[in-house]
Parts: sequence; C-alpha cells; structure tokens
Amino acid sequence: MPGIGPKSAQRMAFHLLERDRDAGRQLARVMDAAMERIGRCERCRTLTEHTRCQICANARRNVSLLCIVEQPSDIVAIEQAADYDGLYFVLGGRLSPLDGIGPEELGLDRLEARFNEPELDEAILAISPTVEGLATAHYISELARCSSLRLSRIAHGVPLGGELEFVDGGTLAHAFAGRQGL
Amino acid sequence: MRAQALKRGFVLHRRDYRNSSLLLEVFSAEHGRLACLAKGAKAAPKGRGALASLLQPFQPLWLHWVGRGEVKTLTRAEAAAPAIALSGERLYCGFYLNELLMRLLARDDPQEPLFVFYQQALADLATEPMDAVLRRFELRLLEELGYALDLRRDRHGAPIDPSRYYGYRPDVGLEPLLDPRWESVPEPVPVVASSLAPAALVSGATLQRLAAGSALSPRESRAARGLMRAALAPHLGPKPLRSRELFRRRPG
Repeated sequence: MPGIGPKSAQRMAFHLLERDRDAGRQLARVMDAAMERIGRCERCRTLTEHTRCQICANARRNVSLLCIVEQPSDIVAIEQAADYDGLYFVLGGRLSPLDGIGPEELGLDRLEARFNEPELDEAILAISPTVEGLATAHYISELARCSSLRLSRIAHGVPLGGELEFVDGGTLAHAFAGRQGL
Repeated sequence: MRAQALKRGFVLHRRDYRNSSLLLEVFSAEHGRLACLAKGAKAAPKGRGALASLLQPFQPLWLHWVGRGEVKTLTRAEAAAPAIALSGERLYCGFYLNELLMRLLARDDPQEPLFVFYQQALADLATEPMDAVLRRFELRLLEELGYALDLRRDRHGAPIDPSRYYGYRPDVGLEPLLDPRWESVPEPVPVVASSLAPAALVSGATLQRLAAGSALSPRESRAARGLMRAALAPHLGPKPLRSRELFRRRPG
C-alpha cells in the first residue's frame, strides 16, 4: 500500500488483532462495502457511490465552469484550497503513449461531448506541467478548438514562500513567460 | 572518493516507483538504453524543487549511476542544457521518437552515433518541419540498427529511375513496377499486400528526394511516411505504436 511500509503494516495488523478486533471487523465491512459500491460518476468520472457525484448533482455549482483534473484526489485538493465553485472532469491520467495511455483511456470523447454543451463557458486545465501533461493539454485544446469555449490553464511558477535561488531553470522560465501586471 | 564521471543522457520514459521514486528508462551516449532508479526523486528537499522536474523526456542531462544489475541506481543528475522546447504536435513527435527507441533498442547496447542523431532530431523538431525530421531519424535508426534502407537502388541493383513507380516490401525491397498502369496512379495509394508484410508504393522521384534529404511536397511526404512505416513494421512487430494515435485528428 502506498505510504505504508512493511513495519507500519505489521504494527497495524498486530494492533487490530491484539487490542481491537471489533474495529478490525468494522474496517473489513466498510472496505467491502466501499469496494462493492463505489463506482465512477457518469458526468465527471470521479469516484462516487451514486450514478452522479455530489458535486455534479449539486444545483448550486456553477455549470458554466469546468475544471479538468488528472485524479479524483486533485478534486479534493482543489475543493479544500481554492475558491472554485464550478464542475470537474477527471481524466484518470495523462496522455502517455509509452504507457499505452491514449485519448480513449482518458475518456476524451466524453470530454469533447461536454465541450459542446451550451451552458459551458470556460474550461480550466489543472494538469501537472510534465511533458505528458503538456501533451494532454495540447490535445484537449485541439478538441476545444471547434467550440466557442474559453480554455485556460492554472498558472505555473514559483511556489509561495519559495526562494528564487532554489527554483529550477524551467520553472523560472515559465514564471517569467507568464508574468502578471501589478 | 573517486571523481564521478557524469555521462550524457536523456530520459526516454519514466514511471512512478514506490512513494517518491521514479523508474527511468535512460538513453545514454556511452551505454545505450538502460533502466535506472531515481530514489526519492519526487520528494522535494527543503526549499528546493524535486529532482523529478529535471528527470523528464527531452531534457539533455548529465547523469551518474551505480550498480551492476539490470536496474541501476541514479546518484546524480544535472541539466546539460535547457530542455528542448517541444510544444503541441512536436511533442507528439518527440514521444514517437522515444517510443521507437524504447521498442527497437536493446538494453545496454551502446549506440553512440544514434545518440547524436537523436539529440539532433530533437533539436530540429523544435524548429524544422516535423515530417522531414522524423523521416531522417527513421532512416538513421534503421541504418544504425543494421537494417539500412537503400534508397538509391532497387532490389536488382539498378539505380532508381525518377520517372518510375516502385513497390516496397520489407522482405523484398524496392521493386520497379513494370505494369504501365502504375505510371498513372496518384502517389499515396498503398499497395495492399496479400501477405502479412505491409507494403508501400512510392515514386522514384520521391525516393531520390528522400535520399538526398530534400524538402518533400505534402503528397511526397505522405508516400515517404508510408514507405518508412512499412520499413519499420517488421522490426516493431504486431503491437501498434501508441504515439501514432495522437496524430489521428490531424487534418489532411
């Protein structure tokens, strides 16, 4: 399991067996239910127990904004940190031909269908700025070209609280290219 | 401590490994393609960027690794030059070059001339017409692997006649087409081969221009693409190249 080494795993197993078998049973039941019941949202492809996730089903969200992310965990991060009230679309990865991940695997045909929905004004790409991420962003921008959609991407640059001296050359070059007026 | 001799290399592909490490497929000048584990590359040391941002495809690198097994351990990595700025479709072309190398190069087989061609091809990709760069690299790649395609002579050893059409099959070579019907066929019509081997139809004039590295018209470059595709096919095997899928939407 990611984040848990053999030592911690052993400690957890002993704790449940020696001290808290009820919690162990409950954990097993919850895990079983989660594995059985959680599927993908039909609109945004995130993980959900329902056919439509809470965000897609929420009538108060701004339907003119769509944020495109790689993983369901990115939604959680954005919801916690940013003041964003639009909808999401989860790709489930990045275009990476060498890993066998093409447009089909990312559900880009479904994304294209959403681009053609009349209530949508702007799509925001929140994809990691790796080489694969840039290729994905380019591919999506080609998909959006025929619609009248506004396409933007989140800014790349110097991390808050970071010092310029330690920022790598590529990031600094990006930060300069994307400078903003004060 | 022994001085660490840094070696030139590019990352062809990378994969997440455990929590914060990366498993790299490196193409190095002196050692060819090799697998390398970059431990903790995704974790950022305090106040600094993570090494992972450097260990990306199309970034010229100086690398040092240790280990004798199949998978080496990366000990140092520095940028040798700014990353080659490929954008849009040129990025897809870069993936295509990497996929070719991943599929056709054996591990730990030094390919120094090919490394130079690869570096040059990436640099050219940033500025020159994409098709020309790709064809040039494909020809060089076949040559370096020992399967050079002779564009100047047909299979009987006769020089290429610019006024004729030639059929190409990897197992046969360039066959001049005797049938006068072929003379009037518009160029990019692929010959549907009855056997499993893919085939291509190309004019003598196109072959000459391709061999000389001259600029090709859109029609000629389509024919050249078909030719190279057929020439590479037996070495790539039946599994299709995934980077080609990205080009499907390309108009024309």
